[in-house]
Amino acid sequence: MTDAARTTLSAADLAITDAALSSVAEEMGEALGRTAFSPNITERRDYSCAVFDAGGRMVAQAAHLPVHLGSMPTAVRAVMRLGPFEPGDVCALNDPFLGGTHLPDITTVAPVFTGGPEPLGFVVTRAHHADIGGMAPGSMPVARELLQEGLVIPPITLVRGGKVEEAAMALIVRNSRAPEERRGDMRAQLAATRLGGRRLEALARRFGADALRGRFAALLDHGERVVRAMLDDVPDGRYRFEDRLEVGDGITIRLAVEIAGDEIHFDFTGTDPETEETSLNAVAAVTHSACYYIVRCLAGQDTPNNEGCYRPVRFTLPERSLVAAGPPRAVSAGNVETSQRITDVALGALAQALPDRIPAASSGTMNNITIGGYDRARERPYAYYETIAGGAGGGPQRAGRSAVHTHMTNTMNTPIEALPLAYPFTVERYEIRAGSGGGGLHPGGDGVVREYLFRDAATVTLITERRRFAPWGLQGGAPGAVGRNTLVRADGTVERLGARAQIEVRAGDRLRVETPGGGGWGRPEEE
Amino acid sequence: MSVVLGVDVGGTFTDFLLWRDGRFEVHKRPSTPDDPSRAVLEGIDALGVTPELVVHGSTVATNAVIERRGARTALVTTEGMRDLLAIGRQTRPDMYDLQPRTPEPLVPRDLTFELHATLRPDGSVEVAPDHSEVRMLVQRAEEAGAEALAVSLLYSYANPTFEELFEQAASGSELFLSLSCRVSPEYREVERTATTVLNAYVGPVMSRYVRRLSVGLRERGTGPLRIVQSDGGSADVARVARLPVATLLSGPAAGVAGAFAVARRAGYERIVTFDMGGTSTDVALCDGALPMRPDVIVDGFPARMPTVDVHTVGAGGGSIARVDVGGALRVGPRSAGADPGPACYGSGNDFTVTDAQVVLGRLGAGGLLGGAMRLDEQRAHAAVSGLEHAFGGDPHAAAQAVVDVATANMERALRVVSVQRGYDPREFTLVAFGGAGPLHACALAETLEMARVLVPPMPGVLAALGAVRSDRTATRARSVLLPFVDASAAAIRDALTVAGAEVRTQLDAPDGAAPPEVSWALDLRYVGQAYELTVEIGRDGAFGGVREAFDVLHEARFAHHDAAAAVEVVSVRATARIAGIDADPTPRFERGDAAVETAAVWFAGERRETRFIDRAGLVPGDRIEGPAILTQLDSTTLVAPGWRAEVDAAGNLILQRSGMEQS
Repeated sequence: MTDAARTTLSAADLAITDAALSSVAEEMGEALGRTAFSPNITERRDYSCAVFDAGGRMVAQAAHLPVHLGSMPTAVRAVMRLGPFEPGDVCALNDPFLGGTHLPDITTVAPVFTGGPEPLGFVVTRAHHADIGGMAPGSMPVARELLQEGLVIPPITLVRGGKVEEAAMALIVRNSRAPEERRGDMRAQLAATRLGGRRLEALARRFGADALRGRFAALLDHGERVVRAMLDDVPDGRYRFEDRLEVGDGITIRLAVEIAGDEIHFDFTGTDPETEETSLNAVAAVTHSACYYIVRCLAGQDTPNNEGCYRPVRFTLPERSLVAAGPPRAVSAGNVETSQRITDVALGALAQALPDRIPAASSGTMNNITIGGYDRARERPYAYYETIAGGAGGGPQRAGRSAVHTHMTNTMNTPIEALPLAYPFTVERYEIRAGSGGGGLHPGGDGVVREYLFRDAATVTLITERRRFAPWGLQGGAPGAVGRNTLVRADGTVERLGARAQIEVRAGDRLRVETPGGGGWGRPEEE
Repeated sequence: MSVVLGVDVGGTFTDFLLWRDGRFEVHKRPSTPDDPSRAVLEGIDALGVTPELVVHGSTVATNAVIERRGARTALVTTEGMRDLLAIGRQTRPDMYDLQPRTPEPLVPRDLTFELHATLRPDGSVEVAPDHSEVRMLVQRAEEAGAEALAVSLLYSYANPTFEELFEQAASGSELFLSLSCRVSPEYREVERTATTVLNAYVGPVMSRYVRRLSVGLRERGTGPLRIVQSDGGSADVARVARLPVATLLSGPAAGVAGAFAVARRAGYERIVTFDMGGTSTDVALCDGALPMRPDVIVDGFPARMPTVDVHTVGAGGGSIARVDVGGALRVGPRSAGADPGPACYGSGNDFTVTDAQVVLGRLGAGGLLGGAMRLDEQRAHAAVSGLEHAFGGDPHAAAQAVVDVATANMERALRVVSVQRGYDPREFTLVAFGGAGPLHACALAETLEMARVLVPPMPGVLAALGAVRSDRTATRARSVLLPFVDASAAAIRDALTVAGAEVRTQLDAPDGAAPPEVSWALDLRYVGQAYELTVEIGRDGAFGGVREAFDVLHEARFAHHDAAAAVEVVSVRATARIAGIDADPTPRFERGDAAVETAAVWFAGERRETRFIDRAGLVPGDRIEGPAILTQLDSTTLVAPGWRAEVDAAGNLILQRSGMEQS
């Protein structure tokens, strides 16, 4: 396309095209959410859908999960190396070092054709599958290397010319503890992909394929302009912050955010090396996502969900560090936990530049719990995954909200009454953890208490953080309370668990997870 | 029934539609928001009639929730579950808001009590409640000044006995009691609790309102009062006072019901309704029937009540246009609302969608409401100047762009109810109403490739029409969670029978009238799924064909099905119905003077001389080629260039693209 094609797109056409492409992504997401089989997708909506141009640049994403923002483009670029494609192809992957995030997130990428030999673009789905094998149900074990976490799917062609490669599908499905559920969820992803392809073809008919390519480019430029305008208003400077993850005496993420004119540079020089002990290693794509999320928050309501927004963003990621891990390291918690700490560090740095916009630290952990094993009553193996909310940090404008997911996740809870219909455990207590938010002029929100009662033996994995290093307050506000994981055996014995634990439970055992509160903001007013 | 009055209370106007001697009369007067019943009674006085029946679309319950003016409400939960509503689904509505707001709760925490008693998931008793504790909790709620008490215990859909203890304990008390096992015996605790609490929260307010209105009506010697429910059917005062949560979508449901009735009489069974007002727009897709969904979300709280599937977006004629820092034109989400309203109303300065229509010459000359409301064209032109820089200084280009983006926003809303539900909008007729719907309909139909637009003769009073025509309905949904196999057929049938008996007794047919007709349905899903689809059961109550119907529906909605997969029944549903009156909305036709004026109107940058025609003077068979603008009291219809309007036998305008045969 020509530059003229970009610049002539009117103010109205920008909005109209953005609305049309966002509709495609939303319709894909709606279809996926309603047709999948595992509660993780249908109830918790742990997935994202997006549209990409032929160059592998994201032009629209449905407002699903921030953690997928920066990592989906990497996946598309990895898949593009499999080309040339033909109509009806769908590729899949979950390899964290080749475009994935962590193994349970399976991505599908499908080229969309409108007549010519070159694709018009790609439609993409990414969904968190409840189990993809590995050493513990849920595929988020306390692991030391990637292969312990589950089946690794490099970029492959899963559907060729509209026909599913049954051998590849069987291989994926057979490597899960819940093969039928996997098959249903994969089928839902493929159906959503097909739907997205049809919708994008219809847009090409409406606008003309070449004109639509021009519109893609114009949308990306628009995103770039919105973000540059925002960055221009942030005071120039180099703002440093660091925070720790709970391995040994603490492993540290160090960040200098540099604002110069309308550009931003996230410099992680000095961050600790990747860890061999745990899965808290973030691949670069996850680090990008966390930083993009912060940029997106600051840029406000008018920001489109496209990759143009991130052209003014630059990174320095030390190789083989906590924020840019490489094989064969385990990475499952990098996506869910380290990503939260990266946002904390970025917010801590930016609070120095924008004291009237940045809140104190939120709970800073997704409180991941996976429960699995063999359900004797239903005579089937199962794996269940969920995350538990915490408190939001207090901010310059208001107190933090209690019991809400913050920053890199926004997944729903599973109804308590739905659990015993499908699994051999129940939730016996689910309430706000009073007093856990940090004090301040605007106090932090409170965390949550969620208590499980197991009706049968099971393997339980906990991946949590902020059990020792509390969510910090800002401007004189107090830190939030750290979380606590407690196992109460059927005989009354109480075991304090660490931040990460893999335990064998028996019928009658109870697990209590108390999630951290948010940090407080501002010194409390003296009476 | 020969004299029936339909009333719809809106934010600005209260609409009256009097059905008398086989004809309708329209009356409008300003609403009285402090007490909506005043406008209703004044309107009846003004009309000078004593209707045998008054059917009323009401926003009392919805407004009580949105404005947090409901009753002081207490809640009893199972131990450990007191914060279910505060936690909700643990998500934030705006993912990119660094400081998510905490919604104002319906129940203060000091009025939330926990009952020490436990049911197992199958409904069996683990820890039985102590009756004295139940009595004590009722007493504590009363002492704390509660007007209403909601009780929602875990797994109570499987065993109501714990909750029923509160009925005995509260007998003789003034408390408005709302039990989840009565209000919404369906599984999923957050939804059930929210529904039960909403019912309690609006209960005393709604009871007072219908009592006040009933007294006023009795003084005037009218027949009984009925209130339109969210399912588009109406209910008598006793049911509404007990189950006010069923009226949360009263007005919009009546509007869709009225529009569907009109379209159906005209021969169009497959329609998308498009009701565009000043601050919001309602759209709904009817595929041969009113579309239903099992719940409605009000201010973030889900209410599990059968509801006409209306999708509402906060965009309308008052939506404000501006160019963002990246150079894209945004229309909304900010709205000029009713006050100050669009610039052309005379006091605001923001440029809105309505102002854009004024600048394009489509509104203005004759004002609104038959000239009762003048429009300040100068002010609209002054307001557009803020946008012109993005359009080469051309005010008409800027105004056209605002209309185009507004159309794109509406298109997105329509896609939600059509494409996202598995329907192709091209197969449907767009039924446009509300003050602004008929002005935007042609452009919207073009973007969605819809071939036909229908504008009813009275596009401003369709909700009142839906009220007059409404069936009386009572509904019940109950979770059973049974596999859909022969072995559980008896249990499913028992549950259906019980639900059918419940709804039948709620509709006492007048002496000599036919008893209510009962229909049944099952909420089904593939085992392991989390969403259900509702499938009707044949009149014979047999399950033959139900499984196949589910697969077909699943394929239509989600583009796949699995005929081999196991299916389960989540809930059974029963609806009792007594048919309403088939009031014919065809107006009296009087050939007008055909005083056609001509004025300049801009279409896509082109200035065209356009006829302005008073719709009241049109008679069946009249044809008008676009461009033309048809004016009437409370709406304006644009026949776009390339479109042709024809008046059908019932007075509807049928707009089609020229050259397209009416099918």
